[in-house]
Amino acid sequence: MNPYRDPSHERLLAYAAGTLSPPEAVVVSAHLALRPRNAAWVHGLQAVGGELLDTLEPAPMEEQALARALARVEADGGEVAADPPLNDMPELPAPLRRYPLGPWRWVGPGMRARDVMAPRDGDTRVILLKINPGLKTPRHTHGGVELTCVIQGAYATEEGRFDVGDFEEADPAVLHQPRVVSEEACICVVALDGQIQVDGWLRPFVQPMMRL
Amino acid sequence: MIRSAGETVYGLMNDTVTALAPHSDLAQWARPNRVSVPEVDYDRLIEAIALRRDRQAFSVLFAHFAPRLKAYLMKAGATPGAAEEFAQDALLTVWRKADLFDSSKAGAAAWIFTIARNRRLDVLRKDARAPRLQEIDLAPAEPDQPDRILAMGQDADRVRAALACLDAGQVEAIKLAFFEDVAHSEVASRLGLPLGTVKSRIRMALIKLRRQLDPSGEGDLS
Repeated sequence: MNPYRDPSHERLLAYAAGTLSPPEAVVVSAHLALRPRNAAWVHGLQAVGGELLDTLEPAPMEEQALARALARVEADGGEVAADPPLNDMPELPAPLRRYPLGPWRWVGPGMRARDVMAPRDGDTRVILLKINPGLKTPRHTHGGVELTCVIQGAYATEEGRFDVGDFEEADPAVLHQPRVVSEEACICVVALDGQIQVDGWLRPFVQPMMRL
Repeated sequence: MIRSAGETVYGLMNDTVTALAPHSDLAQWARPNRVSVPEVDYDRLIEAIALRRDRQAFSVLFAHFAPRLKAYLMKAGATPGAAEEFAQDALLTVWRKADLFDSSKAGAAAWIFTIARNRRLDVLRKDARAPRLQEIDLAPAEPDQPDRILAMGQDADRVRAALACLDAGQVEAIKLAFFEDVAHSEVASRLGLPLGTVKSRIRMALIKLRRQLDPSGEGDLS
C-alpha cells in the first residue's frame, strides 16, 4: 500500500476523536468504507479514546443527575429516528448512501458535479465529481484544503496514480492537473473549501464554467 | 482482574446506589490501582442493560461515565451546564443502544467514547438543517477480516499497555489532540513547545500505538 494514498495520521486521529470538520469527515468515512485496514485502525483509535476517557479527571455531576437520568430512562420510548432513505447511486460506499444528492451539473466538457447534502463547515462542502475517461481537468490550485477519495475509476496527477479508495489531500500550494486514466468514468467524493483556481492562459475561458 | 460474578458487581452497585451523592467516591475503582482494587466490569453492565433493562447496572455505569463524559465535553470548550446535558444525553443513548453493544468488538469505554464522539460531532456541527453526519458504526460489519477486527486492540488491557509505551510528552500531546478541539498550533502554545515538536510528538505517538495495536498494519509509515 502506498502510504501517500492514505489520510495522514493526524487526519485519522481527528476523525476518530470527532474533531475533523463534518465535510472532511464525510470524505474520510468513504475512504474507510473502501479501506478496511484503515477502518480497523480507526477502531483501534476509538479504543485509545475510550481508555483516555476512562482516565479523565471526573467533573462532578449535579446533585440530582442520576435521579434525572433514571426518570428519563423510565419515560423513554426508544429512539424514533429512522434512517433517511437511500439515494440514487448504489455505486457509492455505504457511508454516502443516505445523504440526499443534488442534480448533476455540467461544469466543463466531460465533467459533471453534484452536491452531497452533508453538513457544511463555512465554505467547505462535499461534492461528487464525475469525469469522463481520458479527460484532463484544467490545471488548477485550490482556495483551501481539498480532500478527495476515489469511488470509481482512477486518475493520475504529477504525484502518481489514484485508484478506488485512494485518498488525496491537496492544500492551496498544490498546483495539479488530474487526468482520468481508467476505462470507465472516474467518480470522486471531494470536500472542497472555496472554488478551485484555474491556472494559465485558459483561465479567462475556463474559470467562469468551473463553478463547483 | 475482571469481576464478572454477579455478587461482586451487585455488591459494588449497592454501595454505589446508597452512596450516590458524592459520585467522586467511585474514584476508588479508578486506575492506577486497578490490579489490587476490585474492578467493575463495565462490559457486563452494558449487557445487563441490554438483557434486562437493568436500572442498577445503569446507575453504576452512570456514576462512572457521566462525570467523565462531562469532563470530556468541558475539555472541548463546553460550559458545565452544556457538558452536564451532554453527559445525560450520552448515557441515555447508552441505554437505548445497549442492544448493539458487542464486547468482542469494543470494550465498554471504547463503545461509550464512540457514542460521545458521534454526539459531539452532532452537537458541534454548524449547519443545523443538514442531515446528521455519518456516525462511526458501533458494531461494524467486517466480513472480510474478522481476525483483524478482533486483533485490533479492542481489548482494554492491550490499549493500556500500548499507551504505557509512550513517553509522558507523547501521552500529553495525544490527550490534547483527542480531547481539546484545538489546532496543533494551539496544542503547541499550551505545552510551550514549537509547533514542529508537537506535530512530531503526535505522529510518533500514533506510529508507536499502531505498531503495538496493529502489528500487521502500516505502523511504520510516516
